Amino acid sequence: MVVGLSAATLQGAPVVTQDVDLWFQNLADPKLSSALQEVGAAYVPPSINNPPMFAGAGAELFDIVIRMDGLGSFSREMRNCIEVPLGRHQLKVLSLDRILASKLAANRPKDKLTIPVLRDALAAAQFKKKPVKKPALNHSKLHFPRKT
Amino acid sequence: MKQRARRKTPASAVRWARQIVARVEQILALHPDADRDNIRHTLILLELPPLERLQRSLTRGRATAIFRK
Repeated sequence: MVVGLSAATLQGAPVVTQDVDLWFQNLADPKLSSALQEVGAAYVPPSINNPPMFAGAGAELFDIVIRMDGLGSFSREMRNCIEVPLGRHQLKVLSLDRILASKLAANRPKDKLTIPVLRDALAAAQFKKKPVKKPALNHSKLHFPRKT
Repeated sequence: MKQRARRKTPASAVRWARQIVARVEQILALHPDADRDNIRHTLILLELPPLERLQRSLTRGRATAIFRK
Protein backbone atom coordinates (compact mmCIF):
# COMPACT_ATOMS: atom_id res chain seq x y z
CA MET A 1 0.00 0.00 0.00
CA VAL A 2 1.29 3.48 -0.90
CA VAL A 3 1.34 5.71 2.20
CA GLY A 4 2.75 9.10 3.22
CA LEU A 5 2.95 12.21 1.09
CA SER A 6 3.24 10.30 -2.19
CA ALA A 7 -0.16 8.78 -1.40
CA ALA A 8 -1.43 12.27 -0.62
CA THR A 9 -0.20 13.62 -3.97
CA LEU A 10 -1.94 10.78 -5.81
CA GLN A 11 -5.14 12.15 -4.24
CA GLY A 12 -4.46 15.76 -5.27
CA ALA A 13 -2.70 17.24 -2.22
CA PRO A 14 -0.31 20.02 -3.33
CA VAL A 15 2.74 18.70 -1.46
CA VAL A 16 6.19 17.62 -2.59
CA THR A 17 7.97 14.45 -1.63
CA GLN A 18 11.30 12.78 -2.32
CA ASP A 19 10.21 9.16 -2.31
CA VAL A 20 7.32 6.75 -2.41
CA ASP A 21 6.63 5.12 0.96
CA LEU A 22 5.36 1.56 0.73
CA TRP A 23 3.75 -0.29 3.63
CA PHE A 24 3.85 -4.06 3.28
CA GLN A 25 1.79 -6.62 5.13
CA ASN A 26 4.55 -9.19 4.78
CA LEU A 27 8.08 -8.28 3.74
CA ALA A 28 8.87 -12.00 3.34
CA ASP A 29 6.31 -12.36 0.55
CA PRO A 30 8.09 -14.13 -2.35
CA LYS A 31 6.24 -11.90 -4.84
CA LEU A 32 8.11 -8.91 -3.41
CA SER A 33 11.55 -10.41 -4.01
CA SER A 34 10.62 -11.49 -7.54
CA ALA A 35 9.30 -7.98 -8.31
CA LEU A 36 12.55 -6.49 -7.01
CA GLN A 37 14.61 -8.92 -9.10
CA GLU A 38 12.72 -7.83 -12.21
CA VAL A 39 13.95 -4.25 -11.77
CA GLY A 40 17.47 -5.25 -10.68
CA ALA A 41 16.93 -4.38 -7.03
CA ALA A 42 17.06 -6.29 -3.75
CA TYR A 43 15.65 -6.21 -0.24
CA VAL A 44 18.14 -5.32 2.51
CA PRO A 45 16.95 -6.64 5.90
CA PRO A 46 17.15 -4.38 8.95
CA SER A 47 20.35 -4.24 11.01
CA ILE A 48 21.06 -2.68 14.42
CA ASN A 49 21.09 0.93 13.23
CA ASN A 50 19.40 0.67 9.84
CA PRO A 51 15.78 0.06 8.95
CA PRO A 52 14.87 -2.39 6.18
CA MET A 53 15.40 -0.91 2.73
CA PHE A 54 15.49 -1.58 -0.97
CA ALA A 55 18.78 -1.35 -2.86
CA GLY A 56 19.35 -1.00 -6.58
CA ALA A 57 18.63 1.57 -9.26
CA GLY A 58 15.14 0.25 -10.00
CA ALA A 59 13.99 0.78 -6.43
CA GLU A 60 15.72 4.02 -5.45
CA LEU A 61 12.44 5.94 -5.33
CA PHE A 62 10.88 3.56 -2.83
CA ASP A 63 11.10 3.43 0.95
CA ILE A 64 9.81 0.70 3.24
CA VAL A 65 7.46 1.66 6.04
CA ILE A 66 7.19 -0.79 8.90
CA ARG A 67 4.70 1.08 11.06
CA MET A 68 2.43 4.09 10.77
CA ASP A 69 1.94 6.39 13.76
CA GLY A 70 -1.65 6.78 14.89
CA LEU A 71 -3.04 4.12 12.58
CA GLY A 72 -4.34 0.59 13.07
CA SER A 73 -2.89 -2.63 11.73
CA PHE A 74 -2.12 -3.08 8.03
CA SER A 75 -5.21 -5.22 7.44
CA ARG A 76 -7.40 -2.71 9.25
CA GLU A 77 -6.02 0.24 7.25
CA MET A 78 -6.45 -1.69 3.99
CA ARG A 79 -10.16 -1.03 4.49
CA ASN A 80 -9.37 2.70 4.34
CA CYS A 81 -7.41 2.60 1.12
CA ILE A 82 -8.49 3.73 -2.31
CA GLU A 83 -7.51 2.17 -5.62
CA VAL A 84 -5.62 4.17 -8.23
CA PRO A 85 -5.39 2.69 -11.74
CA LEU A 86 -1.82 1.89 -12.78
CA GLY A 87 -1.67 0.17 -16.17
CA ARG A 88 -3.48 -3.15 -15.83
CA HIS A 89 -3.30 -2.98 -12.03
CA GLN A 90 -5.07 -1.15 -9.24
CA LEU A 91 -2.65 0.52 -6.84
CA LYS A 92 -3.69 0.44 -3.17
CA VAL A 93 -3.28 3.91 -1.69
CA LEU A 94 -3.97 4.97 1.91
CA SER A 95 -6.84 7.46 1.99
CA LEU A 96 -6.14 11.15 2.55
CA ASP A 97 -7.96 11.31 5.90
CA ARG A 98 -5.85 8.42 7.27
CA ILE A 99 -2.63 10.06 5.99
CA LEU A 100 -3.67 13.19 7.88
CA ALA A 101 -4.38 11.09 10.99
CA SER A 102 -0.88 9.57 10.84
CA LYS A 103 0.77 12.98 10.37
CA LEU A 104 -1.17 14.38 13.34
CA ALA A 105 -0.05 11.43 15.47
CA ALA A 106 3.61 11.58 14.36
CA ASN A 107 3.68 15.38 14.79
CA ARG A 108 7.34 15.74 13.76
CA PRO A 109 8.46 19.20 12.63
CA LYS A 110 8.22 18.16 8.98
CA ASP A 111 4.72 16.77 9.60
CA LYS A 112 3.61 20.02 11.19
CA LEU A 113 4.39 21.81 7.91
CA THR A 114 2.20 19.52 5.84
CA ILE A 115 -0.77 19.10 8.22
CA PRO A 116 -2.59 22.33 7.20
CA VAL A 117 -2.02 21.56 3.50
CA LEU A 118 -3.38 18.02 3.88
CA ARG A 119 -6.37 19.34 5.83
CA ASP A 120 -7.19 21.84 3.07
CA ALA A 121 -6.64 19.23 0.34
CA LEU A 122 -9.04 16.89 2.14
CA ALA A 123 -11.68 19.62 2.26
CA ALA A 124 -11.24 20.29 -1.48
CA ALA A 125 -11.21 16.60 -2.43
CA GLN A 126 -14.35 15.88 -0.40
CA PHE A 127 -16.09 18.85 -1.99
CA LYS A 128 -15.11 17.61 -5.45
CA LYS A 129 -16.64 14.21 -4.64
CA LYS A 130 -19.82 15.62 -3.12
CA PRO A 131 -20.53 19.11 -4.44
CA VAL A 132 -22.76 21.14 -2.18
CA LYS A 133 -26.29 21.28 -3.46
CA LYS A 134 -27.36 24.76 -4.38
CA PRO A 135 -30.26 25.95 -2.23
CA ALA A 136 -33.59 25.75 -4.00
CA LEU A 137 -34.51 29.04 -5.59
CA ASN A 138 -37.27 30.95 -3.92
CA HIS A 139 -38.96 32.42 -6.99
CA SER A 140 -41.08 34.81 -4.97
CA LYS A 141 -37.88 36.62 -3.92
CA LEU A 142 -36.37 36.82 -7.39
CA HIS A 143 -36.18 40.23 -8.89
CA PHE A 144 -36.37 40.65 -12.63
CA PRO A 145 -35.53 44.10 -13.98
CA ARG A 146 -38.33 45.51 -16.05
CA LYS A 147 -37.75 46.12 -19.70
CA THR A 148 -37.78 49.76 -20.56
CA MET B 1 -7.17 7.15 -17.09
CA LYS B 2 -8.75 10.55 -16.85
CA GLN B 3 -7.02 13.04 -19.09
CA ARG B 4 -6.67 16.72 -18.46
CA ALA B 5 -9.15 18.78 -20.42
CA ARG B 6 -7.27 21.01 -22.81
CA ARG B 7 -8.30 24.62 -22.83
CA LYS B 8 -7.82 25.61 -26.44
CA THR B 9 -8.78 29.24 -26.43
CA PRO B 10 -8.18 32.17 -24.05
CA ALA B 11 -11.96 32.40 -23.57
CA SER B 12 -12.21 28.77 -22.46
CA ALA B 13 -9.20 29.27 -20.17
CA VAL B 14 -10.94 32.23 -18.55
CA ARG B 15 -14.16 30.19 -18.15
CA TRP B 16 -12.18 27.38 -16.52
CA ALA B 17 -10.41 29.82 -14.17
CA ARG B 18 -13.77 31.32 -13.16
CA GLN B 19 -15.14 27.85 -12.40
CA ILE B 20 -12.12 27.09 -10.22
CA VAL B 21 -12.48 30.40 -8.36
CA ALA B 22 -16.21 29.73 -7.82
CA ARG B 23 -15.44 26.28 -6.38
CA VAL B 24 -12.73 27.74 -4.14
CA GLU B 25 -15.29 30.22 -2.79
CA GLN B 26 -17.81 27.43 -2.15
CA ILE B 27 -15.21 25.40 -0.24
CA LEU B 28 -14.05 28.42 1.74
CA ALA B 29 -17.66 29.06 2.73
CA LEU B 30 -17.71 25.59 4.28
CA HIS B 31 -14.12 25.76 5.64
CA PRO B 32 -13.39 29.41 6.45
CA ASP B 33 -10.02 28.55 8.05
CA ALA B 34 -8.72 26.81 4.92
CA ASP B 35 -6.00 28.42 2.83
CA ARG B 36 -7.27 29.71 -0.51
CA ASP B 37 -4.12 28.69 -2.42
CA ASN B 38 -4.10 25.15 -1.02
CA ILE B 39 -7.72 24.69 -2.08
CA ARG B 40 -7.09 26.12 -5.56
CA HIS B 41 -3.97 24.03 -6.16
CA THR B 42 -5.77 20.87 -5.01
CA LEU B 43 -8.69 21.50 -7.38
CA ILE B 44 -6.27 22.05 -10.26
CA LEU B 45 -4.25 18.93 -9.40
CA LEU B 46 -7.44 16.86 -9.22
CA GLU B 47 -7.90 17.55 -12.93
CA LEU B 48 -4.63 15.72 -13.70
CA PRO B 49 -4.19 11.94 -13.81
CA PRO B 50 -2.97 10.61 -10.40
CA LEU B 51 0.40 9.48 -11.73
CA GLU B 52 1.10 12.90 -13.22
CA ARG B 53 0.39 14.44 -9.81
CA LEU B 54 2.90 12.04 -8.22
CA GLN B 55 5.49 12.69 -10.93
CA ARG B 56 5.28 16.46 -10.41
CA SER B 57 5.57 16.08 -6.64
CA LEU B 58 8.60 13.79 -6.89
CA THR B 59 10.30 15.99 -9.50
CA ARG B 60 9.96 19.07 -7.31
CA GLY B 61 10.74 17.25 -4.06
CA ARG B 62 13.90 15.65 -5.39
CA ALA B 63 15.04 18.84 -7.12
CA THR B 64 14.66 20.70 -3.82
CA ALA B 65 16.66 18.00 -2.02
CA ILE B 66 19.51 18.29 -4.57
CA PHE B 67 19.43 22.08 -4.27
CA ARG B 68 19.80 21.83 -0.48
CA LYS B 69 22.94 19.64 -0.76
